[in-house]
Amino acid sequence: MRIAIDTGGTFTDCVYFEDGQLQVLKVFSTPADPGLAVLEGLSRIRVPGHVLVRHGTTVGTNAMIERKGARVAFVTTAGFEDTIVIGRQARARLYDWFQPVPECLVPPELRLGIDERTGSEGQMLRSPTRAALASLADLISTSGAEAIAISLLFSFANAANETVVAEALGSLKLPISISHRILPEFREYERASTVVANAYLSQVAGGYIERLAAKIGQQYEGTVEVMQSSGGIVPARLAAEEPVRTLLSGPAGGVMGAYQFAKLAGFDHIVSFDMGGTSTDVCLVDAQLGGPHLTNESTVSGVPISIPMLDIHIAGAGGGSLARFDSGGLLRVGPESAGAIPGPICFGRGTLPTVTDANLILGRIESGTFLGGALRLDEQRTLNFMEQAKGNISSVEEFAAGILRLVEASMEKAIRVISIERGYDPRDFTLVAFGGGGPLHACSLAHALRISRVLVPPLPGALSAVGILFADAVRDFSRTVMFASDDDPAIVFLELEERGRTEFKAQGLSGTSLRSVDMRYKGQGYELNVPYGEDMVLKFHDQHRRRYGFANERRAVEIVNLRVRMISKAEPLSPPREALRVGDGSQAVIGDRLVYFNGQRCKTRIYDRQALRPGDSFSGPAIVTEYSSATVLPASDTLGVDSLNNLIIEVH
Amino acid sequence: MVETRIPPDPIELAIFQSAMHSIAEEMGAALRRTSISPNIKERRDYSCAIFDAERRVIAMGDHMPVHLGSMPMSVRAAVEQLPLQRGDMAILNDPYAGGTHLPDITMILPVFIEMQAKPFFFVASRAHHADVGGTFAGSMGPGREIFQEGIRIPPIRIMRAGEIDQEVLSIILHNVRTPVEREGDLAAQMGACQLGERRLFDIVHKYGLQRIAALTEDLIEYSERLMRAELHKFPAGTFCAEDFLDDDGVGPEPLRISVSIHFEPEAGAVAIDFAGSSPQVAGSVNAVYAITYSACFYVLRCLLAEDAPATAGLMNPVTILAPNASLVNASPPAAVAGGNVETSQRIVDVLLLALAQSVPDRVPAASSGTMSNLTIGGFDPRTKQPFTYYETTAGGMGARPGMDGISGTHCHMTNSLNTPIEALEYAYPFRVRSYAYRKNSGGAGRFSGGDGLIREIELLTESQVTLICERRRFQPYGLLGGSPGASGRTVLFKNGDSPTELPSKCTVHAAAGDVIRLETPGGGGWGKL
Repeated sequence: MRIAIDTGGTFTDCVYFEDGQLQVLKVFSTPADPGLAVLEGLSRIRVPGHVLVRHGTTVGTNAMIERKGARVAFVTTAGFEDTIVIGRQARARLYDWFQPVPECLVPPELRLGIDERTGSEGQMLRSPTRAALASLADLISTSGAEAIAISLLFSFANAANETVVAEALGSLKLPISISHRILPEFREYERASTVVANAYLSQVAGGYIERLAAKIGQQYEGTVEVMQSSGGIVPARLAAEEPVRTLLSGPAGGVMGAYQFAKLAGFDHIVSFDMGGTSTDVCLVDAQLGGPHLTNESTVSGVPISIPMLDIHIAGAGGGSLARFDSGGLLRVGPESAGAIPGPICFGRGTLPTVTDANLILGRIESGTFLGGALRLDEQRTLNFMEQAKGNISSVEEFAAGILRLVEASMEKAIRVISIERGYDPRDFTLVAFGGGGPLHACSLAHALRISRVLVPPLPGALSAVGILFADAVRDFSRTVMFASDDDPAIVFLELEERGRTEFKAQGLSGTSLRSVDMRYKGQGYELNVPYGEDMVLKFHDQHRRRYGFANERRAVEIVNLRVRMISKAEPLSPPREALRVGDGSQAVIGDRLVYFNGQRCKTRIYDRQALRPGDSFSGPAIVTEYSSATVLPASDTLGVDSLNNLIIEVH
Repeated sequence: MVETRIPPDPIELAIFQSAMHSIAEEMGAALRRTSISPNIKERRDYSCAIFDAERRVIAMGDHMPVHLGSMPMSVRAAVEQLPLQRGDMAILNDPYAGGTHLPDITMILPVFIEMQAKPFFFVASRAHHADVGGTFAGSMGPGREIFQEGIRIPPIRIMRAGEIDQEVLSIILHNVRTPVEREGDLAAQMGACQLGERRLFDIVHKYGLQRIAALTEDLIEYSERLMRAELHKFPAGTFCAEDFLDDDGVGPEPLRISVSIHFEPEAGAVAIDFAGSSPQVAGSVNAVYAITYSACFYVLRCLLAEDAPATAGLMNPVTILAPNASLVNASPPAAVAGGNVETSQRIVDVLLLALAQSVPDRVPAASSGTMSNLTIGGFDPRTKQPFTYYETTAGGMGARPGMDGISGTHCHMTNSLNTPIEALEYAYPFRVRSYAYRKNSGGAGRFSGGDGLIREIELLTESQVTLICERRRFQPYGLLGGSPGASGRTVLFKNGDSPTELPSKCTVHAAAGDVIRLETPGGGGWGKL
């Protein structure tokens, strides 16, 4: 039995198949030890023996945000000890004299150099002496370091020195993260930063995964796999060795879930739109380009992470975002958030208006159906505080509507960044909305971006777990080579693939390899990834034209990095399709209420999503409520339920 | 007096402001992704902005601070000197006609709505080009008159009736060292302007001209209100300060920059006067008025608590005077390459020093105060091609009241990124020997200034090395008893030994095996220890 368990801020979602149906169980998260909620979920599902648990974890992300990782010793080429903190020598905020001093993951006394040097072509200029290695090991052993990160200049071109250093430090019995193993790519700062993050997480995240896997092994004869930020699954052992690959585990699950449902529903260009309490994640997925966009230029909590991750853009606006007037009298929403405490006004403790409060005032959510009625929303309290906060705006409703327009404007901006700014027209995409807030705002966002279709998958509040359940096993390998476009990279590809096969074999898997290359015009500072093959240079020109508006076929092209993605297809699971029958959804109507649309309250039917059947179709104004979310359907739009129980909305 | 009037519609205006800002940001993103040279792509030395029919800036991307106030002057110069018609696009870089220094090339596109006879908007893009000809590769050398600094382009049309004027383009490309790269970057700038135009058409479609005109007034008033609200908080009075540039690279004399800042909190106004500053000089550190204006704009914007939109309204309560033919308001034919990068930083230092007397708890001590411009040119034996490398190196940030300064970071008028060492050694015949904090270079104090950086580069082939640096003699000041940051220095090690200290601004010939060691200044400290 395969179960996906995704840790969230409030709930830990467990998703699995039973009797051909997708089942979901929500248990309260246990932030002090997230594994307790995982084990509770398993015991409540009463799993049979030999369970396969696929886990989405936030342990790594939280350790980064809270800066609660290991004490890392950073070893690099002597003379470059400070590069890990100098970074790219730019400041985070242009016009802020009081921005905080960025906090480096490595304390100053643990930024260590070793006298050695490799040249840009991989030539060995200087090897570390035995004496230097011994004194380095001594220094680290008495330094209180809990983990070691090694990243020497040009180690991707020649790993000999890095290997020697790693061997010399092996006797210290500390977790060692080595740059040519984790990320053999050029750009020393981003590589070192990734390797340091890995070492930093080795105890907290790596240890957590190991302990959880051991417990599940004992109690259920189970095995554990973990979702990576790249959208693929790895076994617990590898995740524990390279926890840096799991930083966006949950959000990646959400994108993969959105992609799965959209693909099955027949849509292969999507923008995934996941709105939570404090932020909104958007990602562009184009099946023709192999699925979700990947990036190797992410930053997590101020730390650059250059391993491939889904290219998820985060907007600092969510249900808990605070609204306020600035000193010039303009209304602003976010990025400050009410958080879990005090939370929105309507939860009973907060006193400042949030997006959730605005949704309540306008009738788009209500007390009776919010989280199945488990959390009472105090409407009167909300009205009182909103009235006080509304300034000169004519009514509380107009104030609330303004808050929603502003939060939607910032989401629109986020979607523009991942589409228009990268050469894509959002009108060619389906907006897949999930998370607690996505379905509330999706139609109005689609109108603003002239997107004609919105899809709300089943279980929008647990989509990350669904995506994790379906995902394939994936391992990514790469190396910077700096080849001319006619050099033969076959040997390097074979080496990378061999590593992948060995790892898969250890799990009893076999995999296929996808080869690709990062290319650029000679002298450029940025690369584009294209599939490897005879026509790769042509493809590079094409993609350059698409993304950057021009191409120069006479200009020399160079191959910067080689990439191999090893994929082992998961045993296929797919949600069952039900027969469509024509209906108007009236069996699902549970009442009506006055909901504020375009300046006035309209009588609006409320539907219970659970009672909708495939083939039902109706027009707005309507609200479809379900346990963890609500879909707002304006009067102009039409909603249909497809055979997979997706809500498909045609936006006019 | 407290301003109480709130804008007619705080929601509509917030959305309009955000939409305009996102057009400017989108133009910048397009420019960056379509440009070719690392200077634009990797170091991000560019800016984009939108102006109304009156040529007032209404939105500017969060790009380069040094371009902040000077873009409107480019638009004004283009409009005043050219009969811009539908489909025309202007280009200029003349510091004496709307530009800043020659490497910064600006393009201006008038946006005509439907059949209207006059433009309703202007959009502009500016980028720092890696070479615009002249005596020194990289066009950032110690020239003595502007004619040595590269091709000088007055406001002219590079596009007429929607077509690129190939003759104009040709004369530009014939005067630069890397024409293919220049052509690509210029095309990227044109594309960014055209993108801005298309997006403005969408906005007009959505709002209609009348509402846009009204919202634009509201937006400019709103910015003005933010600035006045801030200025109301300042104590009344006049605060004076002076600081010095080390020299102009020609003579040894220090160059004075003086300022007096006069606050009128009741009116919510401020007057800034640079009277007493040195006359313009023979070397290249002269700043045109646009630079001085930008430095003032930058400082005032940093004083605003809010994330204020950079519109013309912000500067309505501000008057700036700078004596003619001076270091801070140069006249032709003064050389100006370094004014943009060095003098701009010192102007900020002087403004902060004056402000510190007025609001000591809100002002940081002096930051490194130089961009430490290093250009290396030569012939690469590996590729058999000439090369030109240009880079700025960060220094220490001044200590802040309540906080230490940040070490090794770009401050104030620039925020460009470094070139990774592994990219650098691959692209150029260099070997970097060290890139590190310059320990204890930050000024001591209750809060310490950030440390500067050390960068040591071994040249693997004979090269011409050009420096424009500052803060060799006059150290970055500390405040309220904090010590100054260490001054910077540059050392040339011939054959790897026999060190010679190089002057702050110079061009020297170096042999293969020579090592350049750059030590950038630390930031000043804040408060007595």
